[in-house]
Amino acid sequence: MLRYTVKRLLQLTVALLGLTLLLFAWFKALPGGPENRLLPDDATDQQREALRRALGLDEPIWTQYVEFLGRIVRLDFGSSLSSGRPIATELADRLPATVELSLFAIVIAIGVGIPLGYLAARKRGSWLDFIAVSGSLIGICTPVFFLAAMLKVVFSQNMGVFPTFGRLTPGTGFTEVTGFRVLDGLITGELDVVGNALVHLVLPAVALASIPLAVITRITRASVLEVLGEDYVRTADAKGLKPQTIRARHVMKNALLPVVTVIGLLLGSLFAGAVLTESVFAFGGVGSFVYQATTERDYPALLGFILIIAVSYVVLNLLVDLSYGFLDPRVRVRS
Amino acid sequence: MTPAKIEKLERLVEAGAQARTAESGSLWRQSFRRLRRSPMAIAGGAIVGVFVLVAVLGPWIAPYDPTAQRWGDEVFLNRNVFPGPRAENWFGLDHLGRDMFSRMIVGARQTLLVGVVATLIGFAAGAAVGGTAAAAGTFGGRWGQRIEAVIMRAVDVALSIPMLLLALSVAALLGPSLTTVMIAVGVAQIPIFARLLRGSMLAQAHSDYVLAAISLGVPKGRIVISHIFPNSLGPVIVQATLVLATAIIEAAALSYLGLGNPDPGNPEWGTMLADAQRFLSGAPQLAIYPAVGIIVTALGFTLLGEAMRESLDPRLRRQG
Repeated sequence: MLRYTVKRLLQLTVALLGLTLLLFAWFKALPGGPENRLLPDDATDQQREALRRALGLDEPIWTQYVEFLGRIVRLDFGSSLSSGRPIATELADRLPATVELSLFAIVIAIGVGIPLGYLAARKRGSWLDFIAVSGSLIGICTPVFFLAAMLKVVFSQNMGVFPTFGRLTPGTGFTEVTGFRVLDGLITGELDVVGNALVHLVLPAVALASIPLAVITRITRASVLEVLGEDYVRTADAKGLKPQTIRARHVMKNALLPVVTVIGLLLGSLFAGAVLTESVFAFGGVGSFVYQATTERDYPALLGFILIIAVSYVVLNLLVDLSYGFLDPRVRVRS
Repeated sequence: MTPAKIEKLERLVEAGAQARTAESGSLWRQSFRRLRRSPMAIAGGAIVGVFVLVAVLGPWIAPYDPTAQRWGDEVFLNRNVFPGPRAENWFGLDHLGRDMFSRMIVGARQTLLVGVVATLIGFAAGAAVGGTAAAAGTFGGRWGQRIEAVIMRAVDVALSIPMLLLALSVAALLGPSLTTVMIAVGVAQIPIFARLLRGSMLAQAHSDYVLAAISLGVPKGRIVISHIFPNSLGPVIVQATLVLATAIIEAAALSYLGLGNPDPGNPEWGTMLADAQRFLSGAPQLAIYPAVGIIVTALGFTLLGEAMRESLDPRLRRQG
């Protein structure tokens, strides 16, 4: 197990270095170059040269790369072009909003997806199965931003059931503790804030949950179907175990393994979906920030975001792999 | 890219390899026969068929010029007046007084083009990467195997980045245009195709006909290009059908992020959908038409692809 872990850690380091190299090349290749973005159009060649030297752009390329790496390690991505604040601060301030939203989305996706997928598999060929399968196919095929926008039009603007934007009704007094509004409200006992924050979370979380929900439903269904056909389930049935026992001990326990893997990794891709959802509801999280950075061509901000997502994704991957090696001895032997 | 997806890709590879090696082609024919009986394949095929037909014939069957602002004086943006469906304009008018029905019909072509070109870019580059890795690993000796390992590690890292982010970074390099969207979405598909083709080629490399070709003294380059490669394409074509659906949806998302065509004179569903977000509260129908078009089309390609995969995969068949 130790050797396996060390090997995976080494691979991870190489992968991350490769990633920074790629991002460095990407950043260098961006149109315009930083000196053009910082200077007015009528700047003289001498001014350009001076700025290039000040920014270290006249150094050899590998020195610049080492410099780039150093800044990444110090989480120094520069300042956002739109707000002027440091990008790392900007991202850190907004992270709780996105994490809160993603958690609610994944809770919805798991809470609905696993039971639905399980029932669909058990009642294979029934109308419930048909709805689950076709519903998840349509869910995967629906653009997230469209779904979010339609939810907003129908439930906020026309029916007025849910608020149209933000995390709290403007002017609501609240005490900031962790940045997670729901949790903060519970800690400080401001229950009105909890309710207010929850109401604001419903629509964005449902929109964001659509694709994970579809994926979880399909995977649970396929996985349960596969397990139901296994010999050990037939054996358990033949030796007269109660159906409930078979379902809980033999079917679900085995069927959930691939589902758990997928859930772990869906969390990473939720951040990408959050960009689209948050922009529709002006949620003010990392997603809104990235949407703004994209539309305003704020490249340093994009770089910081991509780097953080990529790193968390790769690390998450490693954790899942390691937990697999832990749970399933065959993986260890094979490597 | 999740392990489940990777496992799916690997299953597809395995299924393709079995279909090829067992009883010379009869399994392929069986698969096709099964495909014709599958309701999923029929529904998907019908949707894709209609879509392609409209895309090809678009300009000839559209009742009006999709770019002409013929009824511009009947639309009032500030008062939210958008004439809805009526006898002469079946889907009503868009925000510039253009016929929505004509725009939908003509837009199908650009939408198909975006999907197909993006998929082809992903396929071509992915095939080059995956094919090189497989060829080096099979025939390149120890150094070849090292090259293969490095390439595939890089592919794994690329697979781990969410597709939208990959597309976003490419789009940032190239500036907004429809070409950007095609390239960005295509590039994001490269790792999927690379991994799939490599797996498929490795499966073929161990088959009897390759052994026969080697013992006959056929040059290795030729074995790879004219024996292994063509025989490995089955699973890749199945995947391409599925990727087409993703490509159309991702393209719409990139347009929404402002990276698509900045001047949508020439209609395209993704651009139309993104554009319509501005008038959503007053005229949701402007978004609904292209959205339904995209959803139905993506559904068609997904159904067809999944049905093809199922008919190829003996394991999924046994369950059915």
